[in-house]
Amino acid sequence: MPLTVVDETLFASLDPVALRGSACSDCGATVFPALGSCPMCTGVDVQPVALPTEGVVWSWTTQHFEPKPPYRTDAFAPFSIGYVDLGPVIVEGWLLGRTTWQIGEPVRLTLATAWTDGDTPVQTYGFEATS
Amino acid sequence: MSGRAADDEIYIVGAARTTFGRFDGEDNDLAEQAVRGALADCGLTWKDVDFAVGGTNGETKPDNLVARLGLTGLPFVTVKNGCATGGVALMTARNGLLAEGTDIACVVGYDNHARGAFNASPARYGIGDWYGQTGMMVTTSYFALKIQRYLHEHGIDPRTLGYASEKAFDYAAAHPYAWRRKPVTVDEAVDADMINDPLTRFMFCSPDAGGVSIVLARGRRAFDLCEKPVRLASVALRGRRPGSFEVFSTWLSPGERTSPSIDAAKAAFSAAGIMPSDVQVAQLQDTESGAEVIHLAETGLVEHGAQEEGYRNGDYLIDGRLPVNTDGGLLANGEPVGASGLRQVHEVVLQLQGRADGKQVPGGPTIGFTHVYGAPGISACTVLTVD
Ligand SMILES: [Zn+2]
Repeated sequence: MPLTVVDETLFASLDPVALRGSACSDCGATVFPALGSCPMCTGVDVQPVALPTEGVVWSWTTQHFEPKPPYRTDAFAPFSIGYVDLGPVIVEGWLLGRTTWQIGEPVRLTLATAWTDGDTPVQTYGFEATS
Repeated sequence: MSGRAADDEIYIVGAARTTFGRFDGEDNDLAEQAVRGALADCGLTWKDVDFAVGGTNGETKPDNLVARLGLTGLPFVTVKNGCATGGVALMTARNGLLAEGTDIACVVGYDNHARGAFNASPARYGIGDWYGQTGMMVTTSYFALKIQRYLHEHGIDPRTLGYASEKAFDYAAAHPYAWRRKPVTVDEAVDADMINDPLTRFMFCSPDAGGVSIVLARGRRAFDLCEKPVRLASVALRGRRPGSFEVFSTWLSPGERTSPSIDAAKAAFSAAGIMPSDVQVAQLQDTESGAEVIHLAETGLVEHGAQEEGYRNGDYLIDGRLPVNTDGGLLANGEPVGASGLRQVHEVVLQLQGRADGKQVPGGPTIGFTHVYGAPGISACTVLTVD
């Protein structure tokens, strides 16, 4: 069964999962999600790239109150989000599995259910601890 | 050094604010009350105003305030730059007087936000719906992620955030126009309900209502209107460059961190010919406690990492080395977005004139500084002086 995701343009591939960013041919800057131009150097020669799938926690917080719409969930519980340093770019996303983190700990990309549409789980990306 | 009251010097000659907090009336009531108060403060009427600038983040049109104040035909510019609106409005008014060679400008900022406002829409920021749907489009988490990283990089104890809250509510308890005036201890602030780690309920400001107006005069005219005019020594506005860490960022660059606050403060100090170490009273954007900690250093007032010691020493209290946010800041005044930056200027003006509404900085301070910062990565700073 094909996966349903929150936004297909976020992904270079789903199995194995990889995020789709873009890299600038002029200055080398990498951004996420992919853009049509480079905000770092104003260049327009950019190419889509699959981002590295492993990195380290660059910062984190735990969301203790339920965000307002358009937030969607089946049942709210406090969840962590963070910035993960993937090397060429630092990406914001869910931190999965717990609500306390350390800056610098290694994590890897995975998929997680954001909410359920009828019987269909809608997936988004997140990062889980590697150890 | 330019001569006193040269024609290209701009002075603040009048200032007034409303009480901040919840407000049942119309947005325009706040604006009108502030404008009439500021004009009365320097003995002028609306007829005397040559140039006006109004800022709000709400739905009303500031330039239509003329329907209440009088149809004098004056040029009235509207600005809408989020949290930095007040600084931009002041800069626009100064530039207007200098460009047109006229004498009197009136600046007004106001807003009347409903409880729990600031519901951001992804499309408005050019981000896909997924960002809001997955619970990441939340301003409080942005502030938390930013200060969490900052505390880590500079080895600052999270308890420092509690000191910032305690200070804000201590100042506000003595300030008649502040909103939240109940003292909070460091322990209470640190132990309160966690909103977004490491920030608790007592470390965030809330949207509310308020209006502030400032009257500017050019050159010699200022000394006829005001006993102690405050010179707008400089005002600088800057936007973000690569490497800044702004709200609703799906990605950050791994290189050097920059900040529009660093750039705006540097430009303001440079234009004024004044060093950050000369500042005797300051107002900094403290959307939450962490923002004050970061902005103390980004503006050049304190070394990165030295903030914790400063709070523990009482440096930022009224009798300290550098009193900061002496009216309680955003933490205690809330944030009516359009009024907030002008509130900062209002407070520093009164401090320099020796007539603060709340606690007065002792010893006759002569050099003040204000800093606003907001989405999507802009900052405006002013340097204010009296002779
Ligand atoms: Zn580039």
